[in-house]
Amino acid sequence: MTSLRETILPPSPGLDFAAVFGHHQSAAVRAGGLIFCSGMLAIDPATGERRHGTVTSETRQIFENLKLLLESCGSSLDRIVQVHALIYDRIEYDVLNRVYRQYVPNAPPARTVWSCQIEAGLKVQLDVIAAA
Amino acid sequence: MSNRNTVALSNAALDCPKTFGLPHATAVRAGNLIYVSGLIAIDPVTGERAHGTTVSETTTILSNMAKILEDAGSSLGQVVKITVWLHSMLEQEDMAGAYKPFFPEAPPARTVCGARINYGMKVQIDCIAVSGA
Repeated sequence: MTSLRETILPPSPGLDFAAVFGHHQSAAVRAGGLIFCSGMLAIDPATGERRHGTVTSETRQIFENLKLLLESCGSSLDRIVQVHALIYDRIEYDVLNRVYRQYVPNAPPARTVWSCQIEAGLKVQLDVIAAA
Repeated sequence: MSNRNTVALSNAALDCPKTFGLPHATAVRAGNLIYVSGLIAIDPVTGERAHGTTVSETTTILSNMAKILEDAGSSLGQVVKITVWLHSMLEQEDMAGAYKPFFPEAPPARTVCGARINYGMKVQIDCIAVSGA
């Protein structure tokens, strides 16, 4: 039963949400040929410090972190299957799209975007499922 | 068509979509994965909405989720990914305190955000879990 579901170790200390923020969650879990990532935020992958910025800068940081996380377990940005993109305000939808397309240029994944309150006043959070 | 099945629930009170006439399933199996719809706090005896605090709603939801997953041949220990919606991110710590005991080891991947939730509930949680069957 243990092999059905395998937690992925954080690739760098800053991405260890449990250690840095005390959050009861794994960075990612592998199951059924897929990698399920926790909602990724704009944090420094080395220190875990929050990198508050614009939608553009936060999205860049998030994709860099996702790249680290996915590549550490044999996946990659171009293997992303589905994205839930959470933004603090829908007025920034076009801003998100402009930076987003740079990271998934070809055959982009399925996506849903909604606006909501994000923890610690950050502006973007990306919730990703990728093929393992 | 059999590669996707609605999970049959042993407790009809937990079948929120049926109770409230909503066009979705409580849980669907596809292959080894169980997809559970966003759950709100429902009294497992009466099927009524159990409005309460962030703590009480979180506890009720995760208890109900455990039952739903059991009906699907899975369990909270096999949850892979969980999403939590809170009526206010100021209550994130309250949710976290009630949440932790349900996942004593190797917690699932998680996303938390603040949003308006239907019926004025304070918490909504959905999940994806694996099942051995």
